[in-house]
Amino acid sequence: MFIIQTIILGLCLGFVYALMATGLTLIFGVMRIVNLAHPIFILVGAFAAYYLFVIFGMDPIFAIPLCAATTAILGAITYKLVFEKDAGSQTYSEMTVLLTFGTAMVLDGTLSYLFKNTQRITSPPYATDAIFIGDIFLPTAQLYSGLISIALIVGLGLFLKFSKLGIAIRATSLSRVNAELVGIDVKFVCIFSFVLGCALAGAAGSLVSFVFSFFPAKHWEWIAILMSLVVLGGMGSILGVVISAAILSVMASLVGAFIAPAWSTMVFFVALFVMLLVKPHGMFGKYLE
Amino acid sequence: MTKKFFGLNLFGLAAFLTLSFLPINDTNASIKIGASMPLTGNFAVPGSKHLEGYEMCVDIINRHGGWLDQEVELVVSDNRSDTETAIAQYERFINVDKVDLTFGTFSSKLTFPISPILAKYNAIHPIPSGGALRIFSQGHKNLFYFQASAAEYVGTNMVGLINDLVEDKPTKAAVVHADDFFANSIATGLLGEKVVMPGSGELVEDLAPGYIRAAGIELVYHEQWPEEGFSDWLVLANSIKNSGADLVIGLMASPEEATQFTRALKTVRHNPKHILLSQGTQKEFYEGLGDDANGVIIMSAYHPKAPFKGSLAGMQMNNADFAAEYHITTGNKPDEDVAITFALCQGIDQAVRATGSVDDQTIMDWLHARTPEDPVKTVLGNFAWDDRGLPLGKSFLMVQWQDGGNLEFVYPTNEFDTAEIVDPKPQW
Repeated sequence: MFIIQTIILGLCLGFVYALMATGLTLIFGVMRIVNLAHPIFILVGAFAAYYLFVIFGMDPIFAIPLCAATTAILGAITYKLVFEKDAGSQTYSEMTVLLTFGTAMVLDGTLSYLFKNTQRITSPPYATDAIFIGDIFLPTAQLYSGLISIALIVGLGLFLKFSKLGIAIRATSLSRVNAELVGIDVKFVCIFSFVLGCALAGAAGSLVSFVFSFFPAKHWEWIAILMSLVVLGGMGSILGVVISAAILSVMASLVGAFIAPAWSTMVFFVALFVMLLVKPHGMFGKYLE
Repeated sequence: MTKKFFGLNLFGLAAFLTLSFLPINDTNASIKIGASMPLTGNFAVPGSKHLEGYEMCVDIINRHGGWLDQEVELVVSDNRSDTETAIAQYERFINVDKVDLTFGTFSSKLTFPISPILAKYNAIHPIPSGGALRIFSQGHKNLFYFQASAAEYVGTNMVGLINDLVEDKPTKAAVVHADDFFANSIATGLLGEKVVMPGSGELVEDLAPGYIRAAGIELVYHEQWPEEGFSDWLVLANSIKNSGADLVIGLMASPEEATQFTRALKTVRHNPKHILLSQGTQKEFYEGLGDDANGVIIMSAYHPKAPFKGSLAGMQMNNADFAAEYHITTGNKPDEDVAITFALCQGIDQAVRATGSVDDQTIMDWLHARTPEDPVKTVLGNFAWDDRGLPLGKSFLMVQWQDGGNLEFVYPTNEFDTAEIVDPKPQW
C-alpha cells in the first residue's frame, strides 16, 4: 500500500511539473528560444495569485485566467523589448540563452524590490486537505492542480491540432522558412507562441501558489528540473513533457521513499545527464539542431 | 601627437597630481561597517530580515549622533547565498572598501568559510546566525556569537522540554533535517554523533549517546533532504507517518521549509504528540499554516515578550522598546531574524561607546572582558563569551504557536514568565 501511495504522490506532483514545463517546451518548439526566464514567469503568476487571494479572497483556481493574462501581457512586452529584433539571427538560440538569463535576473530583482524576499504561499481550504480512500489518500491541492494541469495541456493540444492558428504554430515549429513560403505570418506566430507560453506559465504559477511556498529567487531551483523534463521528453514535444514529468516525479518519489529523500532531486539531474549522453533529442524529439 | 592633444594630456596630468596631493578633509567621513548578506538565493528570506535588523539599529544610532561624532554607514553586498561570493565580499570590504568594522552574515554555511578570512585580517567577527560548533573550534579569537549556544547543544532544550513539561511522553522519534550546516549540527547533537572538522577530520567533540537516546526515546526514522530544490514533502511526511513516530523533529535553515514540512504533515494527517522545529517563528510560517500551526514548538533565540534589558546609542533600548519601535515602523511584531542582528549591533554599539574606538582589537578586547556579571545587554538578553566565542550561560528559548496565532514562550521555565504548554499538540 505504501508503494501505491508513493506512486500517487509522485504522479500528482508530476502533472504540476508538466504544466510548469509545457510553456517552456512550446516556446522552444516554435521559436528555438531556450527560455531560462520561464520559471520567473511562473513566479509572476504565483505572486499575482497570492495577492488576488490575500486582497480579494479569490481562490487561486479561479484566478488562473487573471494570472495567465498578467504573464501574457508581461510576455508580450518582454518579447517586443528583448527577442523580436534578433529573431532572424543565425545564432538566435544561443543568444536567447543569455537574453533569457538576463531577463530572469531583471525580473527576479524587480520582484524582490516590489514584494521583498519573503516567502509566500496561498492557503485555500483544500491546500492541506486530502481525500482518503481506505488507507490511500489523495492530497487535494496536488490532485486539483494536477487535474487542471491535464485539462489545460489537453486544451492546448486540441488547439494546436485543430485550430488554424495551432496548425500555423506547428508548421512554424517544423520549419520557419517553409511556413513563411506558404504564407504563414511567422512573426505573429512567434509572438503569439511566446505569449501563449508565458500565459501557461502564469496559469502554472496560480496552481503552484498553493502547492509550493515561493519567493523571488525560487525560480533558480525550478529551472534545472524543468529543463530536465523538456530534454527527456524531447525539446518542443508537449506529450514528451507530460510523460517525462510523470515518470521522473514518480521515480523521484520512489527514491525519496525507499532510498533517501536526499537522493530524490538527483533523479531529475541524472535523467538529464543520461538522456543527453544516450539520446540527446529526447523521447519524442524529432530532430536536434 | 598634436600640440592640442599633448596640451590636454599635460593639463590632465597636472590636475591629477594636484588632486592627489590635496589634503583629504575627513571631518565628515563616516564609519563604515561591511556586511555581506544573502538577499537572494536560498537564504533570501532570513537574510533580508537580518539586514532589516542591522539597518534599523544603524538608523537609530545615526538619529542619535552616530559613533564618535561620525555617521555610521552600512556597506551591504548581496552574496546570493553563495559561499564563494561571501568570501570575496568580505575580502573586498577589508581591502577595497576599507571598512572600519564587519558584521557577520546569515547561516553556518556562509559563516564557516568567511571565518578564516576575517581571522586572517584580525577583523572582529560578530556572528548573528552560524551556530555550528565547528565554526568556534578553529581557534579564532575574533568570534562573538549573538545567539544562545552552539547548534549541537540545542537538543538539550528540545528534549528538556519533553522531559520537564510533557505528561504523556513520546517514545518514538523521527528526526528529519535539511542537508545544511546548521540543521546537520543540531541533528548531530540529537543523534549523538561525532563533530569533526571538515577537511582534516579532526575530532571536535563526541556527542554520544545523543539527547534523544539519553531521554529514553527510540529513534524510528532519520532522513535528510537536499539543501536545494527539494519538493517531495508529502512523500517525506508519509514516510514519517509510516514509521509511527509520535515525536517529529524537523530541522531546517529556512522558514520556507518549515512551512512546507508542516503543511505536508497535516495533509497526510500524521498526528504526533509533538512537533519540534528549528524554524517557524516568523509570521510567514503562521500565514502559511493558519491555525494548523497551533501546538507546533520551535526553538528560538528571541521572544518579543522576554523582559530583556539593553541599550543602544547611549539610551535604554530594552526588548519592549525594540518591539514597540519595530511595530511603529512596520506595523508588525519583530521576529527572531530581525532581533538577532539588532542585538548584535547593540553589542558592538556598546563596545564602541565604552572604548571610544572602532579599532578591531580594542573592541575585541572589550568584548572578551565581558563577564556574566558585567555583560553586553541586548534585546536577546545578556552576553559574555568563552574563549571560543560562544555565549556563557545562555540557552535557547522554546516557543509554541497557540490559539489565534500567538507565539508563546514555554521553556525553559526558570528564566521568566512562561505560558502553559499545549500538550499534546491538537489533532489535525
